Amino acid sequence: MQWKRITAVTATVMLAVAACGSPSSSNSSGNSDSKLGGAQVKATDATAKGPAPEIEGAKKGGIITVLSDVTPDTFDPSNIYYTDGNQIAKLYMRALTQYKLDEKTQKPTLVPDLAEDLGTKSADGLTWTFKLKQGIKYDDGTVVKAADYAYAIKRAFAHELYDAGPAYHIQFFKDGDKYKGPYEQKGAPYAGVETPDEKTLIIRLAKKFDDLPFYAAFPLFTPIPEAADTKKEYELKPKSTGPYKLASLTPGTELKLVKNPNWDPNTDPVRKQYVDGFTFKFAQDTIKVQRQVLASSGVDANALNYSNLDASLLNEVKDPSQIIKGDSPCVITYAMDSRKIPLDVRKLIGKAYPYDDWRKVAGLTPDTAVPASTYLPPAVPGYEKYELPGLTGKGKGAQDPAVAQEVKDKLKELGKENFELSWYYSNDDPIATQVNQLRTQTFQKAGFKVKAIGVPKAKIRTLIGKQDGPINIGKAPANWCSDWPSGTSWFPVLYKSDAIGLGNSQGQLEDKKLDAEIDRVSALTPDEQLKEWPKVDKMIMTEYLPSIPLYYAASAFPVGKNIGHVVNDPTQGMPDFTTLFLKQP
Amino acid sequence: MSIGSPDSTVGVEDHPASAEPVRSATVAHGKSPTRIAIDRLRKDKVAIVCVTVVVFFILVAALAPLLTKLEGSDISTFNADLVDEYGYPTIIANAQHWFGVEPKTGRDNFARWVYGARPSLAVAFVATLVGTIVGVVMGLLAGFLGGWVDRIISWVIDFVLSLPYLLFAIAMVPIVESLRGGSFNLSPSEQASTRFLVLIFVLSFFGWAGLARIIRGEVLSLREREFVLAAKAIGVPTHQVLFKELLPNLVAPIVISASLSLPAYVTAEAGLSFLGVGLIEPIPSWGQTIANATNWFKADPLYLWLPVLGITVLVLALALLGDAVRDAFDPKTRR
Repeated sequence: MQWKRITAVTATVMLAVAACGSPSSSNSSGNSDSKLGGAQVKATDATAKGPAPEIEGAKKGGIITVLSDVTPDTFDPSNIYYTDGNQIAKLYMRALTQYKLDEKTQKPTLVPDLAEDLGTKSADGLTWTFKLKQGIKYDDGTVVKAADYAYAIKRAFAHELYDAGPAYHIQFFKDGDKYKGPYEQKGAPYAGVETPDEKTLIIRLAKKFDDLPFYAAFPLFTPIPEAADTKKEYELKPKSTGPYKLASLTPGTELKLVKNPNWDPNTDPVRKQYVDGFTFKFAQDTIKVQRQVLASSGVDANALNYSNLDASLLNEVKDPSQIIKGDSPCVITYAMDSRKIPLDVRKLIGKAYPYDDWRKVAGLTPDTAVPASTYLPPAVPGYEKYELPGLTGKGKGAQDPAVAQEVKDKLKELGKENFELSWYYSNDDPIATQVNQLRTQTFQKAGFKVKAIGVPKAKIRTLIGKQDGPINIGKAPANWCSDWPSGTSWFPVLYKSDAIGLGNSQGQLEDKKLDAEIDRVSALTPDEQLKEWPKVDKMIMTEYLPSIPLYYAASAFPVGKNIGHVVNDPTQGMPDFTTLFLKQP
Repeated sequence: MSIGSPDSTVGVEDHPASAEPVRSATVAHGKSPTRIAIDRLRKDKVAIVCVTVVVFFILVAALAPLLTKLEGSDISTFNADLVDEYGYPTIIANAQHWFGVEPKTGRDNFARWVYGARPSLAVAFVATLVGTIVGVVMGLLAGFLGGWVDRIISWVIDFVLSLPYLLFAIAMVPIVESLRGGSFNLSPSEQASTRFLVLIFVLSFFGWAGLARIIRGEVLSLREREFVLAAKAIGVPTHQVLFKELLPNLVAPIVISASLSLPAYVTAEAGLSFLGVGLIEPIPSWGQTIANATNWFKADPLYLWLPVLGITVLVLALALLGDAVRDAFDPKTRR
């Protein structure tokens, strides 16, 4: 999952917790996937039933305002991939599965949502059968049909239209590489989904994809009736299945949600419907709204902001309970195009990188960013801590003259003196320009030649997103968040050769041996994968080094004094909106 | 003693507000209006203080490299050791950093302050100079030649005055960048210098029109005066009539206009940089520093107050000086 802010080196979010735990065995099991041993267990619970237990002290009524500085790019269920859009969509779109957070530890458990169970896998692992809950209604009172689930899945294959959405179905579903969605081949049969009756949804795969139940929590698995589909305009008038429904959406500015009377709490094991509605205001000024939320005067007490508290406001926090902290499934790296920079030079870049100084200049605090030494964050099962010298996310790098000289000498040995590093930075963002100066100075000290290209902030996402762009440093995705707690959400997506074509490659690796190794581990049972991913992680770091891990992100966002039960959802690094209430509505 | 004889002091005594000193009859007499104005200025205490302040800032800007050398810092070194892990400076001031360091980056506040005076003054003085020269020449030509020249120049003046200058300042940057080879081929400092030149260009381009209009009006009335007619009659070439006969009579409006536009340009530069459409890093400027520092005014007050103080004092001094100059040159003003 792409992070909600790619230019995130700037005013950053997320307070990290040093030893992030992974979902542990404390969760109940009941699914074939969860018989994993040890501390790292994928937590699933196929038997969870609605309604969700009442929260102590919760009251009904009132409107919660979310003042956001970032703007989600889309609210189309097939197109949502960023964490913020995903988290907000949960309020009004239900998918096949969802996460239930542990009341004490906030550890996530995968539970059924609109499905009765978490899917049943066939013996060869290529056919999944989901039993569907009956009597689910849309907000207008019409009944959800099995065909609507199938249509939503088919719709997501129109990836040229929904280009920001996730692409796992294209990679793993049957004929995923050929089928182009229901628009181009109208009415064309798609063999990947089938609905033999109103109670059953069958998904056929091209290759094994044991994380399908996790993938089924994405909004693209929300039912969409074919008759209601207006393509790109669907986000303005979506069919709601959650406790809230869309009242109005002004893209880029405002989203208003009101209660959905046709939501049945007895079918939903997670969501509550305490407040009367939500108002999301986007594109606000970060510092201004965070100050507002901290001060909590008047209606601002009912407001929250889901970006990490700006470091300059630390002095203004009077009540520490207004800052909600927790894990986030993200790692921020310094990506290098392996097709343009040889491995030996990449290692020297890692050595020269000014980790400590960069963290300060970029405004990262120890609360928001834990130095990273692996590709997999501690929040994901399969993480195993290891530290390679010089790649620990700490140290002065070439800001230390001795290291600078060493790197310079080694570059000379390799015959790569004045090797040119090129990257984009936004020249209208003061922090980005300062970070750019620091990196330029440091790499020049270490004997590199630097070509830094300043571009407007509005253009940088598009430019760094081009896998074949003219730069050799910092191509997206340099920041990655796991889509679900498993290594399969990282390694096959980021480091296989076909990731370049899918626009998701970190370091643009094209290596047959690595592809084979990732494929081998992906094909193992989840149980065995847990022991194998750390080896793959370390192998990529030592033998390929497509990117330098910088830090593991975590959350620390400010909330108004009147909002109750604000918890951080570690699957998104965002507040869990679905259980909020107002203490005094 | 007859009125109007060369050594008469009658006229002076009849003007009690005149700053011209009463001389004894023995002193040689006959001063130019400029000389009279400068004499008046010299008596004006406020003007003297303002001149001192402005000269101080000019010296600071001119000697910036020397001053930072004296301090032992420079504008671009990141002293990350001097800020804690949350970005807050760990020192307030020391022998190495007289005014402390910036939050987060740890760059030297003093060095960035003295270097920040440079773009403010450079932009203001260059834009004033260019605007004044262009405005005076255009105004003289339009007023003196008349006819189709006057019509064209007047039309251009009206056209320029009708353009929105803020939009122009924003739109010019990408145009000039593409003229210089496109932003992809420009280094950060080239991009910053492009902004600098664009800023000067935009301010001068929009500054000349107003002055040209005033000068044109003055010339229109002056050109019918006897001394001009006499000069024309004896066959003095046009450029000599313009610059030898007319120009000296226009010193007052020119000096007044220039002295009033200086502080306006200093504010304009700071304002545009604050909004992010003026100067950008790596060129240090007060406007940018203020924009960054507003979030840190509690944690690191010096970081914010230094550039604020710089701009306020400089603009105030320039504005009061402009007022004093106007009073001195304009005999109709009475205090």
